[in-house]
Amino acid sequence: MLDTLNELIKTGVSRRKFLAGVGASAGTLAAVNLAGCGGTSHAKSTGTGSTTYTDADILNFALNLEYLEATFYLYAATGAGLDASDTTPGSASSYQTVGTVTPGDAAAVPGLTAAQQAILNEIAFEEQAHVRFLRSALGSAAVPMPDIDLSFFGPLAVAATITTAATGDGSFNPFSSFDYFLVGSFIFEDVGVTAYSGAAPLISPAGVSAGYLTAAAGIMAVEAYHAGYVRTSLTGRAIAAGSESAYPYLAAANLVEDLRATLTVGDSAAPSTSGSVETLLTLPTSLTTPSSIVAASASDAVGFARTVNQVLHIVYGSPTVGVKSGGFFPSGVNSIFATTSA
Amino acid sequence: MATQETQILDDVIATSRRRMLTLGLTSLAGVAVGAAAPFTNVAAASYTDADILNFALNLEYLEANFYYLAAFGTTIDKANTASTAAGAPLITLSGTVGTAGTVSGGSQVPFTTIQVASYAIETAVEEGKHVQLLLGALGSSAVAQPAINLGTSFPALAAAAKIPGGSGFSPYASDEAFLVGAYVFEDVGVTAYHGAAPLLTSSANLTTAAGILAVEAYHAGLIRTTINYIDPAGTSIASYTNLISALRASLSQAGLLGAAPSAYDVNPDDFGLANFSVELAGGGGANATRLTDADSTNVIAFARNTTQVLNIVTGGGAVNGTTQVSPAMGVFFPAGLNAGPNGFR
Repeated sequence: MLDTLNELIKTGVSRRKFLAGVGASAGTLAAVNLAGCGGTSHAKSTGTGSTTYTDADILNFALNLEYLEATFYLYAATGAGLDASDTTPGSASSYQTVGTVTPGDAAAVPGLTAAQQAILNEIAFEEQAHVRFLRSALGSAAVPMPDIDLSFFGPLAVAATITTAATGDGSFNPFSSFDYFLVGSFIFEDVGVTAYSGAAPLISPAGVSAGYLTAAAGIMAVEAYHAGYVRTSLTGRAIAAGSESAYPYLAAANLVEDLRATLTVGDSAAPSTSGSVETLLTLPTSLTTPSSIVAASASDAVGFARTVNQVLHIVYGSPTVGVKSGGFFPSGVNSIFATTSA
Repeated sequence: MATQETQILDDVIATSRRRMLTLGLTSLAGVAVGAAAPFTNVAAASYTDADILNFALNLEYLEANFYYLAAFGTTIDKANTASTAAGAPLITLSGTVGTAGTVSGGSQVPFTTIQVASYAIETAVEEGKHVQLLLGALGSSAVAQPAINLGTSFPALAAAAKIPGGSGFSPYASDEAFLVGAYVFEDVGVTAYHGAAPLLTSSANLTTAAGILAVEAYHAGLIRTTINYIDPAGTSIASYTNLISALRASLSQAGLLGAAPSAYDVNPDDFGLANFSVELAGGGGANATRLTDADSTNVIAFARNTTQVLNIVTGGGAVNGTTQVSPAMGVFFPAGLNAGPNGFR
């Protein structure tokens, strides 16, 4: 992957050129007011059809995802979502309507130990902090929270063929127990890592100077800490249970990976095959077998990245091109990248 | 392939990043939101991506050898039955820049739980792949593996951290001790890659560094989660993490050489597993774990510059008062790191 690094430097292949893969020339500059962001538009490598975007567009896309994650974790930890003051639009945003949350079965997860509750509290707090950080960084350009549908977990589980038989006790509801919560959070965490990893190199030179690349990399690291926690928990509890049949949540998580791979158009190789951006969980059965906590390429253990478009397909729950809403976002994301394009 | 336009863009990218290093932080617009990038404490801005990757390679040599020894009882350049069975890459030590050293100390951990053993094996394989990747990327520019101390370094560090019985500490003694040893490294790897990523000028290198950063954070999350599950009350090994993090924060702070801290250099810039109080939507404090090592406000992982990282892995060898000492030597790197003429050591 890096064999030609010196040639890349010498020949001046820009990182945006590298990512775009095609020579998209700089288009007309979009007039987006930014507070604290570089306002220069640049041309694409998001995997969507948009031809120009600003750093604010990148950060606002991330903000949509953080709204979703924070809402999910806050419900799981406390039984309620974000404070209203954390969902409002910036004065200069093109989106001025604050969305509503369809909670479905969302509620504080019952039956937690004190240690488990403290973990849920931590993740909820951290995703809430990311919402607040991005809103602060975007200032008047911040988009409001879009409509969020937490009842989508049910249809998603059906699509992933997570059945009662797969999990052993009732229909899929991530708010019904700690183990179901782990599977629910598993839907998001690896995706969050790859979304930031894919978005970070899109930030403009001005945004790099302004520290946004560093911030994005730092948030990505936090998402990876969370993903490490979720995958470690699922693996550790399966080891403790002794078999996959005794702990069906491990298999359920892998079904989520299969579904994500199916939805991730353009990179839909089955998990653990060449070209995949998924690493299936495994059940170590002896002191000499490795676990599979880290989601990374099998060849060189480098974490994956997804394009904006690939992330959209997952959160909309649709592999179809031209879709602008659905899944967790019944009215779409508040973003110029709202429509799937490939 | 490259057009004039992309060449200009690349120059802009490179220039803007280099300027970050030399101008310091006050000129950066991002300070307002606490998103300023850290900068390295080097006089000349003449280093290359290869110098940054070589700095990372030194750290990967350290981590990979630790995990290979713990999981398999061998170093990265010598295969045995266990490393072969696990599919761990056998590393050809092809780096030639600097002075090649030997790895001392370390032995296979007598693991008793599948959880910890399987995590050790997975991590060893992944760190081995990182060494392999960097060696391949750097080619003839790669640094040699320096002298690495994985024996007496741990009790020295444990004693400095005031871990009970620290002078007799061995990370190879048990599952729990291994987790504490691994804890010493993982969060540091996150901060090192986080600090280095924005300094890279090549897009391919940035993408790869971001991917390795994610993997280091997965590892750190894995280690912290496992320690939390074993000691949720924080009465044994989880309490040691607080001591280790406090020591790292102290060494990191000294690595700033008296410079004003940035948003990422707040002191402490490292937190152990002790629970803390958070405020969730709806108001009211809640008790939370610290499975993530990040600041309490924006919850963005910490970044460290190369001097801060050097001061940690050499146990204070990079700093004398407010003066940088180079090469930094001590603890894990008794003869210092290897680097090219403009590299970091």
